[in-house]
Amino acid sequence: MSNIKQKDLILYSGLIILGLAAPYLFSAFKVQLTYLCVLIVLAMTWNLQGGEMGYNTFGNILFYGLGMYLTASVQVGMFFPLAEWTESGGEKTFVHSTAQYFQGIGVGLLVSAIIPAIVAGAIGYAILGLRGHYFAICTLGLGIAAGEIAGGIEIIGAGQGFTTPPFPAEIVDTEARGKFFYFLSFALLIGTFIFVKYIYGSRFKLILNAIRDNEDKAEAMGIQTMKYKITGWMCSAFFCGLAGGIMGGLIGYIDSTDVAFDGREMGVFMVLMAILGGKGTLWGPVIGATLFHFFKEGLWTLILGWQYVALGVLIVVIVIYFPEGLMGWLREKYPERFGEVIDEKDRKAQVELK
Amino acid sequence: MNKLVKLFITSISAITLALVSFSSSFAKVEGEYIVLGSAISLTGKYSSNGVHTQNGYNMAVDRINSMGGVEVQGKKYKFEIIYYDDESNPKRAAQLAERLIKQDGVHYMLGPYSSGLTKAIAPVTEKYKIPMVEANGASRSLFTKGYKYLFAVLSPANQYLEVAIDLAVEKNGGKGVRIAQAFEQDAFSQDVRLGILDAAKRTGSEIIIDDKLPKELNDMAATLAKVKATKPDVLVVSGHTKGALTAIRQISEMKVDVPMLAMTHCDAAKLSKQHGKKSEYALCASQWHKNLSYKDKFFGSGKKYDKDFKKEFGYAPPYQSAESSAALLVFKDAFERANSFDRDAVRDALKTTEMQTFYGNIKFGPGGQNTAKPMILFQVRCKGDECENKVVAPTKWASDKFYHPIPKWSERS
Repeated sequence: MSNIKQKDLILYSGLIILGLAAPYLFSAFKVQLTYLCVLIVLAMTWNLQGGEMGYNTFGNILFYGLGMYLTASVQVGMFFPLAEWTESGGEKTFVHSTAQYFQGIGVGLLVSAIIPAIVAGAIGYAILGLRGHYFAICTLGLGIAAGEIAGGIEIIGAGQGFTTPPFPAEIVDTEARGKFFYFLSFALLIGTFIFVKYIYGSRFKLILNAIRDNEDKAEAMGIQTMKYKITGWMCSAFFCGLAGGIMGGLIGYIDSTDVAFDGREMGVFMVLMAILGGKGTLWGPVIGATLFHFFKEGLWTLILGWQYVALGVLIVVIVIYFPEGLMGWLREKYPERFGEVIDEKDRKAQVELK
Repeated sequence: MNKLVKLFITSISAITLALVSFSSSFAKVEGEYIVLGSAISLTGKYSSNGVHTQNGYNMAVDRINSMGGVEVQGKKYKFEIIYYDDESNPKRAAQLAERLIKQDGVHYMLGPYSSGLTKAIAPVTEKYKIPMVEANGASRSLFTKGYKYLFAVLSPANQYLEVAIDLAVEKNGGKGVRIAQAFEQDAFSQDVRLGILDAAKRTGSEIIIDDKLPKELNDMAATLAKVKATKPDVLVVSGHTKGALTAIRQISEMKVDVPMLAMTHCDAAKLSKQHGKKSEYALCASQWHKNLSYKDKFFGSGKKYDKDFKKEFGYAPPYQSAESSAALLVFKDAFERANSFDRDAVRDALKTTEMQTFYGNIKFGPGGQNTAKPMILFQVRCKGDECENKVVAPTKWASDKFYHPIPKWSERS
């Protein structure tokens, strides 16, 4: 990482300090900030497929939901019989001690990262041969199917939903829970960012781009595209799973189709945020997610009942006026700031030719 | 590029700062207003019941305010409610509860619509020690979690249709019956199912079909085909408003003959209006009916509530509205008895609530559920093309005789 420029260093350290100070500065907004971190992670990881690899997936919600259920199940199952915890009547009450809670969530998050990655590998092996719309539709089905299946599995609560362990009562500070989940999600955000930035400087990203631009040609050049596609998806799944695990603990109640495999909201949002910011860029999804979250939190309640209409309008505006996202739009407007040099003479020559 | 990023970050921080200065206003009691908060489903799959709930809340707020408001320490206060739309989504509901408490400074909450959403909000209110009176979360598991700040004015979900099974067994000469059942995959309906399972065990009845229906269901033909083939004595269906509408539509289309049909949410779905004679003889569980003889000084009797509500909103109030109105009467009573705005004092007052409202008697059990009010069953009966809900059980309130068995479709005009 010695190649980080000094300007970048100032920017990054500034952002990290802001991130660390945020829960103290904006104490009332901790939950929203946690959501923001998770949304950015989802948008960044979606961008790996949708932006860099050119595979528009709606299936990443699968890993998010999987991570959510896995974390909660492990957290409960490590110390208590899971079936009794989720049993429909919920007649019995189990209480995690402080140590049990944190041990549980630690192991749970580990599992929620690894298993979705493995699942992504297996599913990817089966369906990443599909291209374009076929892949998009297939992954859309994955998310919906997962929700319906999860809604029928008794041990994770089925239609009743799964109440995740409450934050230990021994910790009296009411702010502690908010801080804990915020810092957890912030750490995940930093981890994801470092990882994605690393990818952006690697040959791996160029291969993904090659797949996006012309998969057949990439294959003809001797790249084993399948291998790279699967690896890329597994990386996304790893972080999506973690994001899901954190959200499950934060929300406190997992419902199969509305919270975990929430393709209608989270699944669409992650695509929208990446496109809004500009897919195929490092900062695009970050900016897109941030703007989207502010738009949602700020305006949503002012237009009570009409928010989905507004969302529809937003999508139309993005698609028509910013098809390349904000970053793409800025890049077109101020190319020199993105390090692109325009040869004025050449440009004029072209204009005159017309 | 870095300049842009910096510019972006500066503007974001500026907005955040502006937001922070906005939010620190203290809203629990502002001037002469006691501010309550509620996340309600105005959009999404529960939107119709969400609106019933909101209308119920608003009706009671207007009524209480216009009749002198709430008197605490010799001063008169009025109620005001901050609403957010939870989009029928538990994740959003939990987030909005947090927002109401932390950013809007709300210290007293009213419940959302549905058990699932109440389940999502209860951990939040509990964490911040915010008293919540809820009127639409009936799932039994809400009352076994040891919540100390949750109070429900309604009877728990497992009691909804137990009575129906008892009734069927009684009509069968005390012998067990064969039950077919189909329930939506959600917290509330699954709890109703548990109630049926208990009742079946108790009466020695047999469950021959036990189907799960998807959320936002529009089709249950597969279940009904099985019912046609196996001819059970009772068919039980529960799936909120859509479940009730779908069941009646398809039962009449497929001409399914079953001696007894028991459901939930018939009045919220306005069954007798929407499906008219097709819905005749359906047996429905209800928390409330206008003909019950409970009274209070704000709304008078159930019949008067029905009339006033119709005048204000243009439709007959389903029990979801009635119980929501009752929630505010409970809050008013608790504030006055606590004679304080201290949250714990209000909670202690809520805990010792014992009152009668037009909606029914209210007294909270140790888990926060209302133990003083029984469920009732009504049956849709038609005279010509006019259909009405008639109370048939329990006998204390019954205004009409229970009609059994349902005539076959071939015999119905």
